[in-house]
Amino acid sequence: MTESRVFKALGDPLRLRIVQRLSSESHHTISTLSEDLGLTRQGARRQIQVLVDAQILRLQPVGRETRVTLDVSTLETAREWITSLERQWDQRLMALKTLVEATPTN
Amino acid sequence: MQDIIQRSVVIQATKESIYDAIAHPERVVSWFPERVEGTYEKGEQPILDFGDDGRSRILIVDAVPCSYFAFRWVPGSGNFEGDVRSVQTTLVEFRIVEEATGRCTVTMTESGFASLPAEIATRCFEENAEGWDPMMRRLEMCLRTIEAGVS
Repeated sequence: MTESRVFKALGDPLRLRIVQRLSSESHHTISTLSEDLGLTRQGARRQIQVLVDAQILRLQPVGRETRVTLDVSTLETAREWITSLERQWDQRLMALKTLVEATPTN
Repeated sequence: MQDIIQRSVVIQATKESIYDAIAHPERVVSWFPERVEGTYEKGEQPILDFGDDGRSRILIVDAVPCSYFAFRWVPGSGNFEGDVRSVQTTLVEFRIVEEATGRCTVTMTESGFASLPAEIATRCFEENAEGWDPMMRRLEMCLRTIEAGVS
């Protein structure tokens, strides 16, 4: 299931920073990301691979470099799962509100 | 990607009556589970029974009268009935803040989604995909019944 891999892949501060970086600036390669985050190229590559396996990132060779881009549709799917949980809490809180407001205070 | 769900609702009631509806087993069954089994107190692990939608054991981690109530569970109304301390869970917190006399904001925060191991997140997703709709219908019916009773 994609959702669980997505949440697991994002459950790491460094990988979350990579995703945040890519969502604000789309033009990144493995080299520019490793520089930005102060990592070795190998270290950056390892974290990026976890995100690629979860289909959060895509890699594309461009000359001698590897371009890194976000796969927005995967994040959208995970977002929908969270949205369904949010909707359920909205319903529950509304049921709580209705119940408490309907109960006369002593 | 977020690790937290946070929702708020303004309720025209005292913090005491809101807290009662959340923290007392005989009141909470009017809006959340159908039944509570076991001791519904801080440090205990009662089971929330959602009828046809499954049963879920929770660990009540804190209960501060009239302002705060928190428990841990495997998210959703699934069927996890084992020791809640033995698995990764999310933390559900209710905070009640009195804005004016007889008016409060209730904020629910559920956090820890990113730390759920893959197998639990997968099971949650599968259970929730099947479980949400019947629960929504039940809540809608409950709301309608309450509204009908008031008007």
